[in-house]
Amino acid sequence: MSEKPLKTDEQLIADFQNGNENAFVELVDRYKDRLVNFVYRFLHDMTDAEDMVQETFLKVYKNKHAYREIAKFSTWIYTIAGNLARSELRKRKRRKTYTMSDLSFDDNEFTPVDPGKDTEGIVFNSYAGEEIMKAIYALPEPFQTIIILRDIQELSYEDISTILDIPMGTVKSRVNRARLKLQDTLSYLKE
Amino acid sequence: MQNTDCTFICEQFTEYQDNSLSSKIRARVDTHLASCSSCSEIYQKLAGVIETLHKLPTLQASSDFNSTLLSRIETLNQETVWQKFYHSSSSRVAGYAIAAGLIVAIGINIMIDPISPVKTGIQSNFAGEQIKPNQPTESLAEISDSSANHPVDSLTLQNSTINSQNQSMQLVSGKK
Ligand SMILES: [Zn+2]
Repeated sequence: MSEKPLKTDEQLIADFQNGNENAFVELVDRYKDRLVNFVYRFLHDMTDAEDMVQETFLKVYKNKHAYREIAKFSTWIYTIAGNLARSELRKRKRRKTYTMSDLSFDDNEFTPVDPGKDTEGIVFNSYAGEEIMKAIYALPEPFQTIIILRDIQELSYEDISTILDIPMGTVKSRVNRARLKLQDTLSYLKE
Repeated sequence: MQNTDCTFICEQFTEYQDNSLSSKIRARVDTHLASCSSCSEIYQKLAGVIETLHKLPTLQASSDFNSTLLSRIETLNQETVWQKFYHSSSSRVAGYAIAAGLIVAIGINIMIDPISPVKTGIQSNFAGEQIKPNQPTESLAEISDSSANHPVDSLTLQNSTINSQNQSMQLVSGKK
């Protein structure tokens, strides 16, 4: 059984630029879940996330000719979605300043842990997904974005470098700092 | 992190995990981790965090995602078609022509009898006597004829129409 080789994203967007709307639908099918996952990690609301991904595709639809073949389609669409999500997040954070109690995981009063405290008893792999997501949400935006791109979307350093328009070396050091920061935040929230 | 070496080691964790450090630096990290409990603890926790991140459940777009998107695109296309129509020069000029026509019609109406609705034919006859014969009707005809091909002309015509309207209003007030 010989199947037709799948078209690349770049071939599909080129087809769409030439008027083939089915190519657009194919791109939507390829990217909708990935982008919903991506945007959801910023917004923590499925309805908002879907709405924003729809906005992303509408932008692609309206501005299809803005895409140039020199870039990967994936980095282009991630850039659009990321910009929308981050600007929505900034709007939200202006509306509501998060307090640490918003981020505690149970009804117990939040008590910061002394970083020097002996934590031998902690099972390191026991962070629940929800705890981690709350901790990511609490991170300053640049850290948050880089964690989502690298550790959740698992994009390459090169792609992240393109999406955020920062040098590869900066991406790597920022990933490292963001992870340390996240781990730090989790330690505080865990107790 | 107690000292600068700890700081340096922690900065290498990502690349250490990616296996992209030079063998020399990798050996340095290995040695440090073996002897520094603080850094080694941080590293283990970090590995746990990353593992959890990788294992987060994958969300899926809802089943009506495509249909919602396509209907939004349809709405967008309809808007675009309307905008194109509205912004194209010929239809804009047609808009001017209609507007100019309305102004003239209203002007004449006011001039003749602001209350009773008079038939157009009578209006223009009457107006013709008062101002110059047939002028408003001519302007209108010219505007709509020329609108498609001579946008500049029709703009000029629009101005002249407005002038004639002013004229007629002066005449009316002069009559009273
Ligand atoms: Zn150390």
